[in-house]
Amino acid sequence: MARFRNKKRKPFVKHIVKKQPTVDHVTGDKIPRSFVFARGKLPGPLRRLQMDLRKLMNPYTALKLKEKKRNSLKDFVTLAQDMRVTHFLILSKTDSAPYLRVAKTMQGPTLTFKVHEYSLATDIAQSQLRPRCPPDLFKTPPLIVLSGFGTGEEHLKLTTLIFQNIFPAIDINTVKLSSCQRIVLLNYNKETKLIDFRHYSIRLQPVGVSRRIRKFVQNHQVPNLRSLQDVSDFVTKAGYGSESEPDDEAATVNLSSDIGRVNRASTKSAVKLQEIGPRMTLQLVKIEEGLCTGRVIFSEFGNTSAKKLGNEEEDEQESEEEMDTDGQENAAEEEQEIEDEEEQEIEEELEED
Amino acid sequence: MAEELQSVREAGKMIARKRKNMGHNKKGSKAKKKQKGVPFNERRVKVDKKMKKLFEKRARDYNSDNEDDENENDNNNDDDIDVDIRERVPVNRGKFTSYGKKKEDDFEEEWVDDDGGEDGNEEIEVSEDENGEIQPGITRFIDGCRAFRLAFKKILKKSASDDILGPVLSAHKKLVAEKLAEEEVERKVKGEAKKEKHLIGEKGHVKPANYLDSREKFLIGVATKGVVKLFNAVNKAQHAQKGLNPSRSKDEKVIKKRRREVFFSELGKTSSQTVVAGSKAGAPNDEGPSWAPLRDSYMLTNPKLKDWDKNADTTAADDVRVPADSDSSDDE
Repeated sequence: MARFRNKKRKPFVKHIVKKQPTVDHVTGDKIPRSFVFARGKLPGPLRRLQMDLRKLMNPYTALKLKEKKRNSLKDFVTLAQDMRVTHFLILSKTDSAPYLRVAKTMQGPTLTFKVHEYSLATDIAQSQLRPRCPPDLFKTPPLIVLSGFGTGEEHLKLTTLIFQNIFPAIDINTVKLSSCQRIVLLNYNKETKLIDFRHYSIRLQPVGVSRRIRKFVQNHQVPNLRSLQDVSDFVTKAGYGSESEPDDEAATVNLSSDIGRVNRASTKSAVKLQEIGPRMTLQLVKIEEGLCTGRVIFSEFGNTSAKKLGNEEEDEQESEEEMDTDGQENAAEEEQEIEDEEEQEIEEELEED
Repeated sequence: MAEELQSVREAGKMIARKRKNMGHNKKGSKAKKKQKGVPFNERRVKVDKKMKKLFEKRARDYNSDNEDDENENDNNNDDDIDVDIRERVPVNRGKFTSYGKKKEDDFEEEWVDDDGGEDGNEEIEVSEDENGEIQPGITRFIDGCRAFRLAFKKILKKSASDDILGPVLSAHKKLVAEKLAEEEVERKVKGEAKKEKHLIGEKGHVKPANYLDSREKFLIGVATKGVVKLFNAVNKAQHAQKGLNPSRSKDEKVIKKRRREVFFSELGKTSSQTVVAGSKAGAPNDEGPSWAPLRDSYMLTNPKLKDWDKNADTTAADDVRVPADSDSSDDE
């Protein structure tokens, strides 16, 4: 029997790949990209966590990355080379707990975190009275704040470095404040050795303006004046109790440019954060030199590295150097400087804390 | 005898009609009925009143599921019974030839042929009849028939609708109840396994509280501080270049120029940080730029310069740090 021809023969269409820029067009920095995927079969909630993480890593991530059972890590690595992906976030699960691995592609190192607790974005939204999600929230990369990592331990330094480079660096001279929509916070707790992973949305509100007027300016809708005696009451009358609560002086900023209709550069604005998931409590368990392979640089349970404590530090320094140099020959110096700047900011924070 | 036969036939037809309703094998039900008397009560499956409702509902489903099968089987059952009776008829025909009609004969033979292959039981019965005495077989059948009649009368009096667990036969009833109980046990086991799996999957998954506890407030505070710091820094950096677009080349030159100015002006002033560092080192220098190479006296009057390679000086390290920072802001 002759084979039936496929009747719906599609004409050959050259697949046009819309090229995302590999470097920031203003600052010329390399843009880090990431893959979030799972190894092994994940139960439902963890799969949702994976989706949340992908959303968090937006816009420089593969939101619809499909993985199959037979895909090995090698497949992802080869794909990562083509797509210039620099970071992997790998979720996996054992009987005791889920694990998150954060790795730099090609050379490594790989940080393995044990996920003690986690909450999904939907859980967080459900717990809130008014969950907030403006349409362009996930169109810009988040800021990252690391706090409590300045204890001087080598493995924590390495962790800060990796997490700082996971998102595009911010150049404070050219950055638009309207693109700062989200923030990722990593807070290290010295006593418990746990890292709190939080994800917030940033909202700016003018200080000293009543809610009514703010809404009026925002929405451009005719307000309901039924309950008022006079038009002037709309402006003069105090609102509800919640808005009269004094804004924290520490949380107010002067803006360099207008953001939206409400926040003018001339007035002070209050910074308000609202949590958008996911939320995780991580414990740094292990650092490996390569990409999920190689010598163990650091292990929380210390069965390998306890003896060679002396060698360890040297090795870590080496690995840091490696990390800085891999694939960044051209922009290495610039990047270094940016890192320094960011680090300095964080250090300043810590000093204040 | 003809009347008797007639009654036999009628009874047979009755059975056939009944079978249609019940959809069960005649012999099986009969045998079970006899056996059941005592053992059924002993081995009765305990049915809770609570569960009974559920069982009834499931039994309804169960019966309705089998309806199609029953309808299909109806024909077969009819055939079986017809054949049963007719098998006896041709034997009798030897004596009452006038009774048999030609039409029927053809029919019967066909039926016998058809069923011979299908049912082993049927064949055995036939053979028994052929080998053994015929007369007692008939009388026995008639006795049974009387019993049947009574039984059926009883059954017919009953209304089928009042008990949903099997319409007539208690065996059927019992089987259904047993099966349902079994299913229930199975379901429970399955449910537990599923629950366990679900629990393993949910490990570590925590639903957050509706309010912000102190820990969350602290974390939000830390994050807010970071954001404020960044925004202030941005404000400070971008205040100088207001109204200029960094992506335009014309503006870029202006921006660069301004930055350079800012850089040099920052070099010129003494920042509080370096003063503190300087005082720590024990060499406070109030006048002149803070960065050592910019001072007028640099390289000339510095006594330390003689042995600069011998000890790493702390003040020098501190001095270098500030320009490095401002330098970075210049380059970007």
